[in-house]
Parts: sequence; structure tokens; C-alpha cells
Amino acid sequence: MTDFASFGRRILFRLPDGPKLVRWFCGSWTALVLAFLYLPIVLLVLFSFNQSKSGFVWEGFTTKWYVDLFHNRVLLQAFGNSLLIGLISTIFATMLGTLGAWLLYRYRFRAHRLMEACIFVPMIMPEILMGVSLLVLFVMFSLPLSYFTVVIAHVTFTFPFVLIGMQARLQGMDPSLEEAALDLGATPQQAFFKVILPYLVPAIASGALLAFSLSLDDYIVTVFVTGAESQTLPLKVYGMVRVGLNPQLNALSALGIILTMILVFASERLKQPTPGETP
Amino acid sequence: MAGANWLNRGGRDLGSHRAGWKAWLLLGPLLLWLGLFVLLPTLLLVLTSFSQRDELGRVVYSFTLENYTRCFDPIWLSIFWNSILYAVIATVICVLVGYPAAYAIGRASPANRRILLTLVMIPFWTSFLIRTYAWISILSQEGLVNSLLLSSHILPAPLSMMYTPFAIVLGLVYNYLPFMILPIYTSVEKLDNSLIEAAYDLGAGPLRAFSSVIIPLTKPGIAAGALLVFVPAIAMYAITTLMGGGSNPTIGEVIQNQFTRARNQPFGAALGVLLMLLFLVCFLILGRKTNSDDRST
Amino acid sequence: MKIPALRHLILTILPIALVACGGATKSAPTANAPGSVEDKKVSLFCWSEYIPQSIIDDFSKETGINVSVENYSSNEEMLSKLLAGGGKYDLIQPSEYTVEALVKDGQLLPLSPAALSNLSNIAPEFRSMSFDPGNKFSVPFMAGFVGICVNTDKVKTPIQGFRDIFTPEHKGRIVIVDDAREIVSWAFGESKIEINDITTENLAKIKPLLKKWLPFVKVYDSDSPKTSLKNGDVDLGVVWSGEAARLYDENKKFTFLLPQEGAHLFVDNMAIPKNATHPQNAHLFINYLLRAEISKRISDAFPYYNPNAAARKLLSPEQLANPASYPPAQDITRMQTFRDIGQQSAAVDELVTQIKAGGK
Repeated sequence: MTDFASFGRRILFRLPDGPKLVRWFCGSWTALVLAFLYLPIVLLVLFSFNQSKSGFVWEGFTTKWYVDLFHNRVLLQAFGNSLLIGLISTIFATMLGTLGAWLLYRYRFRAHRLMEACIFVPMIMPEILMGVSLLVLFVMFSLPLSYFTVVIAHVTFTFPFVLIGMQARLQGMDPSLEEAALDLGATPQQAFFKVILPYLVPAIASGALLAFSLSLDDYIVTVFVTGAESQTLPLKVYGMVRVGLNPQLNALSALGIILTMILVFASERLKQPTPGETP
Repeated sequence: MAGANWLNRGGRDLGSHRAGWKAWLLLGPLLLWLGLFVLLPTLLLVLTSFSQRDELGRVVYSFTLENYTRCFDPIWLSIFWNSILYAVIATVICVLVGYPAAYAIGRASPANRRILLTLVMIPFWTSFLIRTYAWISILSQEGLVNSLLLSSHILPAPLSMMYTPFAIVLGLVYNYLPFMILPIYTSVEKLDNSLIEAAYDLGAGPLRAFSSVIIPLTKPGIAAGALLVFVPAIAMYAITTLMGGGSNPTIGEVIQNQFTRARNQPFGAALGVLLMLLFLVCFLILGRKTNSDDRST
Repeated sequence: MKIPALRHLILTILPIALVACGGATKSAPTANAPGSVEDKKVSLFCWSEYIPQSIIDDFSKETGINVSVENYSSNEEMLSKLLAGGGKYDLIQPSEYTVEALVKDGQLLPLSPAALSNLSNIAPEFRSMSFDPGNKFSVPFMAGFVGICVNTDKVKTPIQGFRDIFTPEHKGRIVIVDDAREIVSWAFGESKIEINDITTENLAKIKPLLKKWLPFVKVYDSDSPKTSLKNGDVDLGVVWSGEAARLYDENKKFTFLLPQEGAHLFVDNMAIPKNATHPQNAHLFINYLLRAEISKRISDAFPYYNPNAAARKLLSPEQLANPASYPPAQDITRMQTFRDIGQQSAAVDELVTQIKAGGK
């Protein structure tokens, strides 16, 4: 009887990814989580086609908000600014975070703990404190408020998020990975680029995603460090919300989301034929 | 497991290399950044917190301790406690909700993994305010949920969901969930299948395998996620005011007010400095603790 | 102002700052001498969503002047950026008490009346107001009130003032603007204290009243108080008149009235900072906004009280009939405006925060 049970368990549950039960549960749970994340988004997309100017009561189908949106130079420019600033600061934050995490993991520095504590500071500092103190700093350095100062500010508050995610990945890394590479005659640089970096890719990707969305969404820090030409979308959105939610904003969000989805799926489609990659 | 020792923070206490000049050189950009844009503003802030202000709210750099003595008024402490409570609840729910999803994503095929990961992030590329107003339209008395419940005669009267603690927690969980999912995903992704398999081979059920193998191995991810959620959630104020109605002020809101309506930047800075100190102390204690925990295994 | 002193301090403490600062210390831009020709530029620092973009575009078309716009969403946000000296602004939009504070501190450039021929469009009661006698430094842009908005479908009892709103019957059905100075001024009105007489004693005097009132409030929202009213989460509000005007436009069930305890007037103005680099263009822009037909377009977009009498003549009867935009005229002449209270604002904020947090 017991033998039979254990036999049954072996048959049922010996899957490389864990038992079916766990798989099934996690899979449907993920579906629920995605549904939760997308509930407001679906609503946004839906109501970007709503005739009603105010709020969320369906009054009929229209595409006029999209037409209006394409004539709204200021909003589109702010959107462009946000993308530009988001991309540039993500690149810098990801480089800074990846390199920093690796170096702090690999080497022992003087004042190691102090450095690690410093990295936490931008995460802990309430946004308005960071905005105001960076403003004072920029004025002190006579830096004119512009794209440049906004990017500096965004890199400053995003890179710790990249770095901490990276540390979580590094913490469980098998050190023999690097040692093997070194034993096989690779220089430390080669070992880093050929072995460590590929290992870190998932953490780099998720860190960059986090940094990008943090940058896209920031209002308080940006408002203090931006000049006239580098106004980002959240600054405009904040103002527009004060006078009532504008369906053009729904249209803009909907467009952004649909475009990103198309891009993501298209890039996966293009990758699909590569035979080396086993699903 | 020979690797157990390496699980401690960076393993630097064991086999890490002493930094040579090359390592310092590589660290240069980070050091420069930390010095110029983190340390220097922080010092400015500390300086401000010991300063006074003039009629227009400008900071006057003459020394006072008044801002700090004011911080210990029971009012601010109770507000502080309130904020910590919300952040803890949000973090715990984020772990519970986020872990299974992160696990599923981490165990999916590489192509699906990328798609799922991006799917998790895309909602957060719309503006925070737009998302929040969408939630308001879902939860309000004349909103989506209530009209569904009312029209299907499940409920006789609308539920009051907006401007309640429930709405605050929902808002926090919604906005910080990806911060939990991503780091957990990165540590699930590198899980060694053979370890899990070994657990099953040794007769462990799914729950046992989960609690004694998978969870311990992904602990760094959970810790990082908790950090990324808990820390910003404490200072958060926009969600609590928009979704909660602002009748229970949070510490983030109080600090924000000092820089706007109250025109009292030095006091705001003092509250901020204390908040940051508290975190740093927590980190140091936690860091020490995990280090010794791991070493004992 | 304080910045050089601060720089000095930092320089002595931190050698890093020394290195970074060294290269870039002297860069004070030379302002255009009066009378000289300015380049075709003007930079505005104004409230977000207060001047319609089409008006800015038309101004550029007409004058060839390139307008750059930067936005803020509170007077203090504007103050901290302006006073830090980060940006160079030619035109700002301070509210009345901020004008007073800026004038007191010598931060504003005196306006030249010769360049503002359209100033006569402003109604007499809005010219030479107490915060800027003789309009030496500022010109009114828009005005408004804080008043009571009632969802008459849900609330059947007559509401006339604050004492009718803050009652146990309305517990959990009220939204108010999240502004400590405002909240305190209502209690002052009820207690027959002059709204600008903010002293420690007076604050102590009204504290019990606020302690009674605030626990009835469900939502504090300054940015969009109409949202919770519109969604049916609350039935009564003490809100900005412009917000109530929009609600009334959408649905007539939302009525607006000025509280019988007395209301006050807020006035947003246009002013030129003293270190503006294009003051002549800024004058041109102010004068442009003062034109009746332009000011009317602002009213179309933002239904506040327009101090521009000539523009008011162009408004439609519906616009003028909106009780939140244009309450009975005799009310307005009686109204006071907020004076700057300087450091007392911290005490006001603390009082309200304290009651909110402990009011459970």
C-alpha cells in the first residue's frame, strides 16, 4: 500500500519543474495576478473610446480623443521627453547598478558598509527631500535646470533599485562559475563579460524594467529639477487631473500600452525560429 | 551543500578579493555618483535640519535643535507608527500575492518568461495618477464593482470601498507588486532543478519541497523584494491621500506638507533625516543578522 | 540671497564640492538693460492647466515671441524654485498672499503701467487690492472662492453654512479641500474671528471646534475634490468654486453656495520676478491676457470668477448663471483675501494635522 502510494507519487510528481499541483496552482495564480494588474488598464483602454468627456460612464463609441491627442503638441512632447529621459536614465542606472553590485560582491573595499548604506539613501529619502536638495545642489554648481539635471536626478533614485535586485541574484551565485573561467585561462575581464554578465542578464533585464517605470512615473523629484523644455508627462498629467481626467490621457495610455505589447510580441516572434533555444 | 557558505552576503567574508587599484578605478563612477548626488544632498539635508527659516520659507543657516525636539511630539510618532503599519501590511500581502506569480514566471520557458515579465511591467508604464483614478472609478460608490453587484442583485446597497484602509492597502499592493515580483523572479530563475528534484526523490511533498528547499533558496529575492516594497511604501503619500482620503496622515504626507503649505523645510528635513536614520539602523542590524544566520548553516 | 552663504559653508566642509564648483562659479546672466531690444523669447512659470495652450500659440503667432512654459501646482513649489534661482522666469502666477510675501521681500519687478493698456478691463473691485495697492507689482488673472457644494439628490436638509455641514448626520459624507489655512479660516468664520488674525491664542480658541468638525470628514482632497462628489462617495463638499462650477455644468443636482459664516476670495495674479531676462515680453504677454476676448477664452476653459469685467461681458448667459462661478455680486465686495502669515503657517499646519491624526 505504502509502496503503491510512493510509486504513484513518483509517477505523478516527477516532473523537472516540480509537481503538477504546484505548477497548476502557480500558473492560475499568475493569471489572477495579471488580471488584477490589468483591470484598471483594460478600463482605461475601453474608456479612451468613450464619448463622455468626464469619468467612466459609457456614452458611445468615438475615436475623437485620439484625434485630439495627435493635435496636442504639448502632451506629445511631454510624452517624448518622458521616454527620452526614461531611456537614458535607465541605461545609466543599469550600468551603474550592475557594475556597482558586481564590484561590491566581488571585492572588499575600504568603507564597504558605508558605501552600501549610501546606496540605500536614495531609496529611503522621501522624494520631496531629494527633489529640494538636488535643486539646491544644482543651483550651487550653477547647472542650468534641463534634461541633464532631470537625468541625473532620475539615475540617482533609480540605480539603487537595479543594484539591490542584482545583489539578490549574485548572492546565490556559484563562485566556481568564475573560478572555472579563470582556471581555463580567461582574464578577469573575459570572465566578467563571458560568464558573469550572461548569468546576470535576468537581473539586468528586471532592474532595467524597474528603473524605466520608476523614471516614467516620477512627479515630485522632477518638478524641482526640470527646466521648461524638459517637462515630463507626469507633470502634465498632474495638471490635467486637477481640471478633470481628460480622455486624451486615457488615449495616450492606451496607445502606449498597445504599442509596447506589439513590440514585445513582435520581438519574441522574430526570435522564435532560433533552434538553439529550447522552451 | 558545499555552496551554503556562499549564500551569505556576497561571500566577501570568506573568499572575496581585496580591492586593488583596478577595482577602485572601476568603482569610480559609482563613488563619484554617490559622493556628488547622494552624499552631498544628504549632507545638505542634515544641514537644513539644524537650520531655521525666514518668513518666505527660505532656509536660514543658523544652528538650532528645535526641529529635532519637535519631532518627538507624540503626534508625529503616532503618524509614523501608522505609516509603518500600512507599509508592513502591504509588504506581507505583496509577498503572498507576488511569490507564486514570480515562481511561475521564473519556471516558465525563456520566451514565455520574457513575455510574462514584460506583461507584469507594462501597466506601470502608464502614469501613476491615471492608474489611480482608474482604480477610483472601479471602487467608488457609482463605480464598476458596485454597479455590477447592484445590477445583479447580489447586494441591496452599494459597498463603501473608496477612502477606507482597504483602498489604501489595495493601492499600495497594486503599485508595489512588481517591485516584489521582479527580484523574486531573478532568484527563482536561477534555481537548480536538480535540487528540487532531489527533494522530491527524497519523498518530500510539494509543500515540504517548497518550504524546505525552494523558499530558503529564494530567500535573497524575497528579502530584496521586501526591501523594495517596504522602504518606498513608508514614505509614500500620494496613494494614501488619493485612495484613503487623507484622513489618516502618513509620515510622507507630513514631510511633504512641511515643504509646501507649512513652509517649514528645516522641520521636514529633520523628520526625513530621522526616517533615514531609522532605516539605516534597521539595515545594519538585519545585515548583521542574516550574515551570522548564514554562517551558522 | 542665502545661496552664496550656503556655498561658502559647503566649500569649507567638503573638498569634493570645491572641485566640482570651481569650474562653474561665475555665470550670472546679464539682464537686458531697460529700453534695449529683447530676443523674441519669454519664459512662463505658471499653474499647470491655467492658461490654455491655444492662447499661448496665438500669442506666439501674433508677436513672434517664443513662449516656454514651466508648471507648478502649489505656490510654495513655485517659491522654492524661484528663490533657489534655478530657472530664469519672466512671468509667474502667485496667489494673493504670495504676492504680498514676494513684494515684502523685494522679489518682484515693478510693472510699467504704460505697457499695460488693457489693465482698465479689470473690474474696479479687483484693481488695487489690499495685497498690492495700486497694482504696482501684480495684475489679477483669475479669482475664486471656497464654498459649499451639495448633492441635492442625496441631501434634503437645507444647508446654509459650515454648521449645517459638520453635523453627525453627515458623518462620512463630506469632502473638504486639504488645505490647513482654509480649514482654519472656516472655524475662524464660525467663531467670528478675523480670518487673517492668526495668533496662537486664536488657534487655541478654535481647536475644540475643529476637533468637533474634522472627524465628520471622509475625504481631504485639494487636487480634485469633485471626484469623490461625482462618484457618489460623498454628498457634501467644501471645495474650490471652479470645481463646483464644473460639477454644476455636468449635473445641476450639484448646487453651490457661499457659507453664511462668511467666505473669502482668492486671487491668482501675474507678476514679473526681479531677475527676469525678458521683462518687456512679459509685459506684452500680460497685456495680451488682459484683452477681453482672450480672457474670455480662459473663462471658457476654467470656470473661475473672472476679474476681467470686459471679458465677463462676452460670456454666455449660462456661464454667468453658474452659481459657483458667479455668486451674487454683493457677496464679493464684502469678501476678504488671505494675508501672508509667514512662519505661522507651520502652526496652522500642525494644528490641522494633529486633529486629523488624533481625531479618530
